[in-house]
Amino acid sequence: MFVYEKKLQYPVKVATTNPKLAAVIISQYGGPDGELGASLRYLSQRYSMPYPELKGLLTDIGTEELGHLEMIGTLVHQLTRNLTEEQIKTAGFDAYFVDHTTGVFPQFASGYPWSAATMQVTGDTIADLTEDLAADAAMV
Amino acid sequence: MEKPEVKPAVCEAGQGTLPGCAALAFPYIPMQSNNPTRYSRTEALQTGTLFPGLDLPFKAAIQARTKLPNTALVELMALDFAVTELNLYLDTHPQDQEALGLYASYIKLAKEGREKYTAKYGPLDSAELVLEDGYTWLNDPWPWELGGNG
Repeated sequence: MFVYEKKLQYPVKVATTNPKLAAVIISQYGGPDGELGASLRYLSQRYSMPYPELKGLLTDIGTEELGHLEMIGTLVHQLTRNLTEEQIKTAGFDAYFVDHTTGVFPQFASGYPWSAATMQVTGDTIADLTEDLAADAAMV
Repeated sequence: MEKPEVKPAVCEAGQGTLPGCAALAFPYIPMQSNNPTRYSRTEALQTGTLFPGLDLPFKAAIQARTKLPNTALVELMALDFAVTELNLYLDTHPQDQEALGLYASYIKLAKEGREKYTAKYGPLDSAELVLEDGYTWLNDPWPWELGGNG
């Protein structure tokens, strides 16, 4: 099970509203190599892992990724605080705003909603770990 | 299933061991050596890893470390980050006694830091209830809000 801890893993403090940046960073939230996919990838792959080291590692990394998801969500939320009408129109944030206003929605930077099609769970140890390497390399 | 044999070798910082003979057509990742060099907990939180060998910044510019505020919450974040990092390390190196000892001491420090923090600023967990204070779990700010962290 999971227990919520009411703090971020790392401080997030945004001084200046920047919807243009938020529209790009949202991909790290719900994009093809974002934190939501990372978390679900690890937490779903662990069931078929044969070694205790891997069961532990995928459980613990998958959990930490949820903490990363929260940091990115915070970043997007703070970047879109107190938006003016002018900022919405001119900063390339209008397409996002019409659907989600300043809510934080898991989507690609292109606007495509988060999709489980961006991850894989094969049940094969090596195939899954290799996929994790590719996904993590794309993330950093 | 049989685990691939990893030959012990002396590796420099930032390097790890690979099996002497490896199965064909499988990718291998160097295994982090036991008792690797570590950053202090504050350096670790600033860098994003406890281990200098795994400090691989995407761009050189990122190496300029972010200055973190000296607050009770940031200190707790640093302790918790060291705990998380050692937790992940021990998942793949459960026999490393040095790291296990360090893990135990960081857990103790984090527990003390947490008690000090929650006594002053309120609960981090909904079950950390101080009855006479009422239901403080709902108190603002939440972590994503202005003033909510750091």
